[in-house]
Amino acid sequence: MDLDDEERVPVFGSWPRIYGAVAISALLVMALVVLFSRFPY
Amino acid sequence: MVLAAYLVAIVTFGVWAGRGNRRMDDFFLAGRQMRWWAVGLSVMATQISAITFVSTTGQAFTDGMRFLVFYFGLPFAMVVLCLTVVPFFYRAGVTTAYQYLERRFDSGTRTLTALLFLMSRGLAVGVTLYAPSLVLSTLLGWSEAATILLMGGTTIAYVFHGGNKSVIWTDVVQMALIWFGVLLCLGMAWSGLPAGLGLRDALAVAQAAGRLDIVNPSPSLTAPYTLWGGLLGGFFLMLSYFGCDQSQVQRYLSSRSLAESRLSLLFNAFLKVPMQFLILFTGVLVFVFYHFEKPPLLWNRVELAKLETRAAGPELEAVRARFERAHAAREQAARAYVGNRTGEARTAYVATGLELDAARQDARSLIERVNGGKRYNDTNYIFLTYVLGHLPKGLVGLVVAVIFAAAMSTLSGEFNSLATATMIDFVKRFAPATGSEARDLLLSRLFTAFWGGFACLVALQAGRLGSAIEVVNRLGSLFYGSILGVFALAILTPKATARGAFWGLLAGMTAVGLVSWLTPIHFLWYNLVGAATVFAVGLGISVLGQDGRV
Repeated sequence: MDLDDEERVPVFGSWPRIYGAVAISALLVMALVVLFSRFPY
Repeated sequence: MVLAAYLVAIVTFGVWAGRGNRRMDDFFLAGRQMRWWAVGLSVMATQISAITFVSTTGQAFTDGMRFLVFYFGLPFAMVVLCLTVVPFFYRAGVTTAYQYLERRFDSGTRTLTALLFLMSRGLAVGVTLYAPSLVLSTLLGWSEAATILLMGGTTIAYVFHGGNKSVIWTDVVQMALIWFGVLLCLGMAWSGLPAGLGLRDALAVAQAAGRLDIVNPSPSLTAPYTLWGGLLGGFFLMLSYFGCDQSQVQRYLSSRSLAESRLSLLFNAFLKVPMQFLILFTGVLVFVFYHFEKPPLLWNRVELAKLETRAAGPELEAVRARFERAHAAREQAARAYVGNRTGEARTAYVATGLELDAARQDARSLIERVNGGKRYNDTNYIFLTYVLGHLPKGLVGLVVAVIFAAAMSTLSGEFNSLATATMIDFVKRFAPATGSEARDLLLSRLFTAFWGGFACLVALQAGRLGSAIEVVNRLGSLFYGSILGVFALAILTPKATARGAFWGLLAGMTAVGLVSWLTPIHFLWYNLVGAATVFAVGLGISVLGQDGRV
């Protein structure tokens, strides 16, 4: 079992950046959903 | 044939993947050696049940895609869990989430929360098994008991042998199959649209019918699936489900490192909303498809047959004639709107849609009268009726296999987690010297079989319980927020005491019970009410107790 979590950050360089990417992508997905919902087809 | 091949293959694979368990830790946590992507897929598969797959498409058909907001809080909940609960559990080296509560508070708080989990999850897993079995048996003409035993029995077979390793690896295969099934159904629904009707036309029709209304910014606490309900209520629900429910905690504690546990949850944060979007969108395309293809009067074919034999002839004929007229008028109005997207054409189309809804309501009222006033709802039958009626035979088998996969991936994780909580939080807690590793392993397997058998028993009785199914689901939502509140107290407040946590938990459940009983507030908000009450009361009692006033 590896407890040294701070050493192993697979992408984006650090955990705060990964969390930021998740939050930004969630907001982006919501914006796309709104666009999809209201687009004048 | 396809279903039989799937069942043989998944049991064989599950038994093979779960080989080599020598200790209880191997059986429950897969030796803590799993990779993040496998755990991530398993977490996702455990959450998606068969009824989610069947019911969500039906919901999109009847009500549109607004159910999607239910998942809007999930990515943010995952981030919070990665920052708080996951490292706490991982570093504590626990097997169940409830073990952590004893270390932080006392054995009473641990036992009470573990008991709440066993009660709510034990009954809910029976419903998880019953609901798809009912739909499949009705539409395919199978025996309900045989469907329950086939689904439950095959799942018990591989979880009994391989424990969590089998659960995770079969979940990976089942999740791949579910994704394939979702994309296949979406493709088939798209290709089933009539010649000359493009995707943009289909979307225009769905939009005019209100099926693309997703984001409702209303601040109402009683309206279902508002943006704020999804973001806030959904956030607390997901925090509770992924952070405090053993069926999920056990999945990510099986990762080989803390970083991989976190990645498995973040993997879900990225994929969950898009996946639900695709499932709901499939339901919307099926909705458009049935503008140009005559739908049945009732989606449940058993109830339709009953209606045809028991309802008075002239009355049924009148209902049927109104329905057929309304459908023909809506088809014509939809074609007119697609050809010329003016405000008038849209208004005319919307009016024909309302008339069709009214005609269907007549049929519903009629079957309810035939059934002595029993409420009729056939949302869960829409998607499978479409699959059975309009997909090639081989693909029908594949879709049924996908539904089995979705059910089994949830059941397997739940059987395993119920056995774990029973063994770790009760047997090992109250009789720690049960014997050798081999005996513990055998007991763990027997508890897996016990909970699998219990689920089958609940499912077999669920038809007789009737509205008790609703009661079980409601009970589950009463507990989630309160359990989250206890974990929040444990992790976020060093001042919280065992007494505060225990009484806070009872206060939280009481508050949620009163809110659900006395107010029309939508259930998504219960999670926030429960968590906030436990936290406030628990912290209050803890602080006052430290001052010597309580």
